Amino acid sequence: MSAGVVRLTAVNLRKDVRLEWRSRDVFNSMLFFALLVVVVFSYVFDASAEEARRMMGGLIWIAFLFSTTMALNQSWARELRNGVLDAYRVSPSPPEALFLGKTIGNFIFVLLLECLMAPLFVIFYNLRALGNVWLLLPIFLLGTWALVVNGTFFAAMSIRTRSRELMLPLLLLPISIPAVLMMVTATSAVLTGEGSPVPQIKFLAGYCVIFSTVCLLLFDTVLNAE
Amino acid sequence: MKNRLFFLLLAVTAGLLAWGTYQALYVAPPEATMGDAQRIFYYHVPAATAASLLFWVNFVASLWYLWKRSPVADAIAVAGAEVGVVFFSVVLISGPIWARYAWGTFWVWDARLTTSLILWLLYVSYLVLRKSSELGSTSVLAASLAVFAAMDMPIVYMSNRWFRTNHPQPMIGTPNLNHDMQTVLLWNMLAFCMFAILIAWFRFDLERTSQTINQMHIRKAAQGVSMAAIIPAIFLSAKPAMLLLAKKAMLFGSVLLVLLDNDADALAHEKLVQHHYMVAGYIAVWTIYIGYLLFLLNKLRKLHKEEAELRTVSS
Repeated sequence: MSAGVVRLTAVNLRKDVRLEWRSRDVFNSMLFFALLVVVVFSYVFDASAEEARRMMGGLIWIAFLFSTTMALNQSWARELRNGVLDAYRVSPSPPEALFLGKTIGNFIFVLLLECLMAPLFVIFYNLRALGNVWLLLPIFLLGTWALVVNGTFFAAMSIRTRSRELMLPLLLLPISIPAVLMMVTATSAVLTGEGSPVPQIKFLAGYCVIFSTVCLLLFDTVLNAE
Repeated sequence: MKNRLFFLLLAVTAGLLAWGTYQALYVAPPEATMGDAQRIFYYHVPAATAASLLFWVNFVASLWYLWKRSPVADAIAVAGAEVGVVFFSVVLISGPIWARYAWGTFWVWDARLTTSLILWLLYVSYLVLRKSSELGSTSVLAASLAVFAAMDMPIVYMSNRWFRTNHPQPMIGTPNLNHDMQTVLLWNMLAFCMFAILIAWFRFDLERTSQTINQMHIRKAAQGVSMAAIIPAIFLSAKPAMLLLAKKAMLFGSVLLVLLDNDADALAHEKLVQHHYMVAGYIAVWTIYIGYLLFLLNKLRKLHKEEAELRTVSS
């Protein structure tokens, strides 16, 4: 990757973060949505601490998956206004920079959301991990990246379709199922202390590498699809 | 020439299908515990083989399209994915009918089944994308998605290694499969792969026709007439008919069961039940195949009509 791509990625990233910092509309709705999911689930399941520990892996990721999907749709919709996306298309800047900037931006927003939500999960579900808590760090970093990298790509694809926002979950969820499965089993393994999450973490790392590569290779094609 | 080859293939395939079905129903020895219900296997496995073959075709054609932007490659990719989804639906429907007898439940979330369902979902999302994207960008977007789907498959298979599976292991060439049964299975595999290729060819021709029509429409649009949209998704039109037929078949089966329940002794009854499962499986499978073929024929008729109209207008 040349220095130009890195610099342009940083420019795109700064622009996204600044826009979000000033408006905060995507982040606030994402946060509120995740909060609602937590509350609704606690009503629906009414779980004891023991049961909660077993379900929590799935619950946490479902909350993050849905709120991520919401945020991703917005991130490209913003570029459609005033024909910004068309301007990108005719500009000489490499499309990879645009994609990477957007992906890293989304990654940061979702990570922030996770940091804010984690204490709530602990409080509401009376949660205490029985396994090695530090392993949650790579699981969340890799898992979030896996969701965000594919999500940003498919969001770019779905704004090219007629049904726009509706298309994203239809495309993203089937592709992400193996990754979601791994995040959930790894998180549950840490929370319940049964079994090691290391093979799942390795798997997630492989998934991230493969799909980041495919996304970067194909983004140009999708951006310019006519 | 091409037409003659097509009809020759059609005749050979029809013969093979009849031969394979005859073998599956009458020649293959009954399985020790599952009896007739096991005969669903001769339709289930070949459909899975044919579907995976077609998904590979879709992947290769999509790469070819991304590289060369050839409309022929795009038509091959559509044919591969759509016919593949139809064959895979057969797998997903005949499997549970067998499982209801063998395992006592239609579905378990076991590795093999989950994997197959994800595969099916991936290619359905491919078809949905094709249907919903703007005319100009459809092929490029769909080809990109096909690459993702193909990349995902090995990963899905790997991710399921951690789970135990109820699904029987592959048996060809192992002592677990009776020699006669294997012969019958291989005949059916040949027959259904030919069948799949033939339908895919037919679907490919249709797609080429509709591409031509689109070109004509675009030319017409230049004269101030708006373009028509293409291709309704297969499921929208195929599903209600399928459901209705399946319901009728089930009703018929249950009536028979009640009628014959009283006087049969336990063993005969069990055999009858096995037989019912087999019949239900075969009916379901052929309902899907025939439903899809009828759908394609209807589409062909519409396209021909449209083409004729366009030709008269432009001439």
